[in-house]
Amino acid sequence: MMKSNKSVLPLFSMLLLAVAILVTGCSNPGNRSSGALTAAARDSSLVIGMLGDADYLNPVIGASLTSSEITGLIYPSLLQGEFDTRTGLLNYLALEKRLRSSSGNADEKSPKAALARSWSISPDHRSITYTLRSDARWADGRPVVSRDFSFAYRLYGNPVIASPRQQYLAELVGADKGAVDFDKAIETPNDTTLVFRFFKPVPEHLALFHTSLTPLPEHLWKNVKPEAFRESKLNQQPVGAGPYRLGSWNKQQEVVLSSSASCNLPKPGNIRRIIFRVIPDYTVRLAQLQTGALDLVENVKPEDFKAVRKANPDVDIRTVGLRVYDYVGWMNIDGEHYNKTGKIRPHPLFGDPSVRRALTCAIDRQAIVDGYLGEYGVLCKTDISPSLKWAYDETIKPWAFDTALAVKLLEAAGWFPGPDGIRQKNGRRFSFVLYTNAGNARRNYACVIIQQNLKEIGIDCKIELQESNVFFQNLQERKLDAWMAGWSIGLEIDPLDVWGSDLRKSRFNFPGYINPKIDRLCELAKNKMRPEDARSYWIEYQHILHQDQPITFLYWIRETQGFNKRIQGAKLNISGTFYNIDDWTLKPSVVH
Amino acid sequence: MFRYIIKRLLIAVPLVFGVLTLTFFIIRLAPGDPAAFFIQPGISPNVAEQLRQQYGLNDPLPVQYVKWLGNVIHGDFGRSFSRAQQPVFDVIAEALPVTMTIAVLTLVANFVFGIVIGVISAVRQNSFLDRFLTVTGLFFYSMPEFWFALMMIILFALRFPLFPVSGLNEVGAESFGTFGFVMDRIWHLALPVTVLSINGAAGIARYVRGSMLEVIRQDYIRTARAKGLSERTVILKHALRNALLPVVTLMGSSLPFIFSGALFIEVIFAFPGMGRVTVEAIFARDYPLIIADTFVSGVMIVLGNLMSDVLYAVVDPRIKI
Repeated sequence: MMKSNKSVLPLFSMLLLAVAILVTGCSNPGNRSSGALTAAARDSSLVIGMLGDADYLNPVIGASLTSSEITGLIYPSLLQGEFDTRTGLLNYLALEKRLRSSSGNADEKSPKAALARSWSISPDHRSITYTLRSDARWADGRPVVSRDFSFAYRLYGNPVIASPRQQYLAELVGADKGAVDFDKAIETPNDTTLVFRFFKPVPEHLALFHTSLTPLPEHLWKNVKPEAFRESKLNQQPVGAGPYRLGSWNKQQEVVLSSSASCNLPKPGNIRRIIFRVIPDYTVRLAQLQTGALDLVENVKPEDFKAVRKANPDVDIRTVGLRVYDYVGWMNIDGEHYNKTGKIRPHPLFGDPSVRRALTCAIDRQAIVDGYLGEYGVLCKTDISPSLKWAYDETIKPWAFDTALAVKLLEAAGWFPGPDGIRQKNGRRFSFVLYTNAGNARRNYACVIIQQNLKEIGIDCKIELQESNVFFQNLQERKLDAWMAGWSIGLEIDPLDVWGSDLRKSRFNFPGYINPKIDRLCELAKNKMRPEDARSYWIEYQHILHQDQPITFLYWIRETQGFNKRIQGAKLNISGTFYNIDDWTLKPSVVH
Repeated sequence: MFRYIIKRLLIAVPLVFGVLTLTFFIIRLAPGDPAAFFIQPGISPNVAEQLRQQYGLNDPLPVQYVKWLGNVIHGDFGRSFSRAQQPVFDVIAEALPVTMTIAVLTLVANFVFGIVIGVISAVRQNSFLDRFLTVTGLFFYSMPEFWFALMMIILFALRFPLFPVSGLNEVGAESFGTFGFVMDRIWHLALPVTVLSINGAAGIARYVRGSMLEVIRQDYIRTARAKGLSERTVILKHALRNALLPVVTLMGSSLPFIFSGALFIEVIFAFPGMGRVTVEAIFARDYPLIIADTFVSGVMIVLGNLMSDVLYAVVDPRIKI
C-alpha cells in the first residue's frame, strides 16, 4: 500500500504543480488586488500591440514605424497635417492659416497643435517664412523657439548622423551644389520667425511638407557631438512638447507614454496612459485582442475576422484607405545582360509589353481577391491609388480575366505550344521561376493561383520562396526574372524612384522598365505649383502604365485594424491608424 | 584535476576564437545587407551608404577582419547595428536575466520530474503505470514546442482565461508592491515554463528509466536487498545514485540552453530573451550582435562540456581525469 501511494504521488505531482500555480495565480491576495487595480487602470490606459520595438525615440534618426508613431505623440510639429478623404489631397494647417480652405471633410483636424501661427511663401516660391507662436514650451519648461528648428535641420542634414529624412532638405539653398548652406538656407531673425530659402521655385505644398520636420530642443542637444548622436543617453529620455511624454521604456517589451499635463499644443492627451506592447507573434497579438488585454492590433488578417468577432463582440475591424498593393514583377530587360555589360536589351520572355498584357489577362486576379481578401481587396490598375481621388483615373477598365485574349496576344508575339504543351519561341520555352518572400500567406495563396492560371495557357511557372533579406537583395540586383511582392505608396505622388528610366538612379525600378514618356510626365507634374493642376499628366501616366503593364498590378489591400469598441472618437484614414490618437477617449467599463 | 581544468580552458581559447573567425566570414558571405532596412521609399537614398561607411562595411574583407580582431582582443565587440547602436554586451545583458529565469526554472522542473518519472517507470517496469508514463512521455516529447505553446494559450488563456497570454508582467504591475510583482511574474511564467519542462522532462525520463533498468539488475542491488534493506533505501540510495551518472552529463550540456534561450517560447510569449536577440540579429544582418551571441553560446558549450566531464569524475570515483 505504502509503495503504491508513493508511486501515485509523483505521478500526479506534475499536474498538481500546474494546478498549484493556477490556484496561487487565481487566489493570492496580491493578484486579486491586481485585478481590481487593472479595472481602474484599464479605464485610463490604452494598450496597443506592436510587432516590433521602437529603434530611436528621436525624430531625426527614428526609422521604424513604431518609432515615428511614438515620436509623433511626444514631439510637437510645426504644422498639422490633414488628409482630405474626399479629394485625397494633403492639407497643412497653421494656427491662423490653412493651405486649402475647409471642405467640410469629416476627418478635419484642429490646427491648435501647430507650432506655426502662420506662413507666407514668397511670390517667386524661393522662400517660405513662418511666424511661430510664442507660448509653446518644451516639457522642461523652456520655450520652443525658431532656433530649435534651424538647429534640428543641421542635424537632419548631417551625413554623420545619417538621418532617414535628409531628403527633405533637397531643395534648400546649397543642396544643388552638394551640401546645404545652412547659414543662408535657414534664418532665424528672432525667436518667432523662421525662414527657409530654396535654390529653385518650390510648390507651396511641397515647401510646407519639406520644412515641417520635427524640431529638437537645442538647449539639451547642443553639446552632443554628431558622432555620439545615435548613442546619446538623451535618446532614452526624449524631451518633447507634444500631448504625451515618455513614462518608461522597457526595451523589446513596452513603451509607456503618459499624458503630458503641461502640454498646451493644444492640450494633454485625453487618455492618461498609452502603452505600446511588443508582441512579435501574430497569433498571440490576435489572442490578446480577443481577451481584451490589447485594445488595438494592426493588420488583422481577413481570414481571422470571423473568429475574432465571435470570440469577442467588443472587437471591431476598422479599415483605412488603399495604400498597399501586391503585384507580380516581370523583368522587362535582360537583367543578367544588363548587370554584365550595362547595356539594355529586352528580356527574352517578358520584354514585350503585349506578352506582359497577355500574362495579366491570364491571371484571374478577381479570384485571388474573392478567395483571400474578399471585401478588403480591390483590383489594382496602376500605382495611383483610388484613395487619391484628385489624380485617379476612374475611366480605365481593369484588364479582364480572359484566357482567349491572352492566348491570342501570346501567339501574335510568336509564342506557340511546343511538343510538351509549353509554349515556345525560337527554341526557348516559356518557363520561369516566380520568386516571393517566405512567410506571407496571402502571397503564397496568390502564387498558387497564378501558377495554375499560367499553366492553363501553356506557361510553366515554378514557385520558389526566399528569405526576405535575400529576396530583397536579389530584387535590387535585378537577378530575378519574375517575382511577387508588394508596394506601399507615398501620399505625395512621386513615382520617379519606381519607374524612372535611369536605372542607376531609380532604385526601386526592379523590373527595369524604361519609358521616357513617364519621366517627362513626372517632371511636368512636379513642376506644377498646385498638385491638382497636374491631374492631366497623371491621367496620361495611368494610361501608359495600363497599356505597358511593366508589372502585373494585382490588387489593393485595405489594411484592417482590430479595435476594441471601448476606443471612441478614432478617425482612421490612409495617413495612419493613429491619425488623431490624442483625441481618442476610452469608454469607462460598466462594472466597477 | 585543477591542472586538467586549466589545460582544458587554455585549449578552449583558440577553439572559441576559431568559431568566431568562421562566423565572421560566414555571415559576411551570406547574402543580405545590414543597411537593407534603410533602402525603402520615404527614406533618403543616401542613408544606406552613409551607414555602411560608418559600420566600416565598405572596407575589403581582410581589412574588416584585422580591425575587428584588434577590437575583440581589447574586449570590444562593437555596437549593434539594429538595436540603436547599443554596445552588444548591453543588449545581451538586457536579455540574459529573462532567459536565465526561464531556463533555470525549466531545468529544475525538467530534472525533478524527469528523474521521478524515470525511476517510477523503471521500478514498475512493464506495468500499466510504466506504459502509461512512457506513452504520455513520448506523446509530449514528440510534440513541437511552438504548437504545444499555442495549444496551451488557447486552452488556458482563451478558453479558460486563467493565465496571461504574453509578456513578463501585467500592465501597471509596478504598483502591486514587491510581493504582488513577484506573484504576477510567476503567474506570467507558469505557461511557458510548463510547456518547456513537460517537453524536456519527458526526454530525461527516458534516460533515467534506461539507466535505472540497467542498474537494478546489478549484483550489488541484489546484495543490498539480501541485506534486508528496505526497498526505498535500495532504490533511492543504492540504485538511483548509480543510475544518475549519465544524467549528470545531461546537466552539463544543458548549460548553453540557459544562455541561448528558447526562441519559440520567447516569440510566442513575447519575452525579450536571448533567442529573440539572436534570431532578430541574424535576420537584420547585425554582424556585431551575431558574433557576440556566438561568443556567448560558444563559451557556454565549452564550459558545459568541461563541467560535465568534471562532474562525472566527481560523482564517479572510478573515473580519473
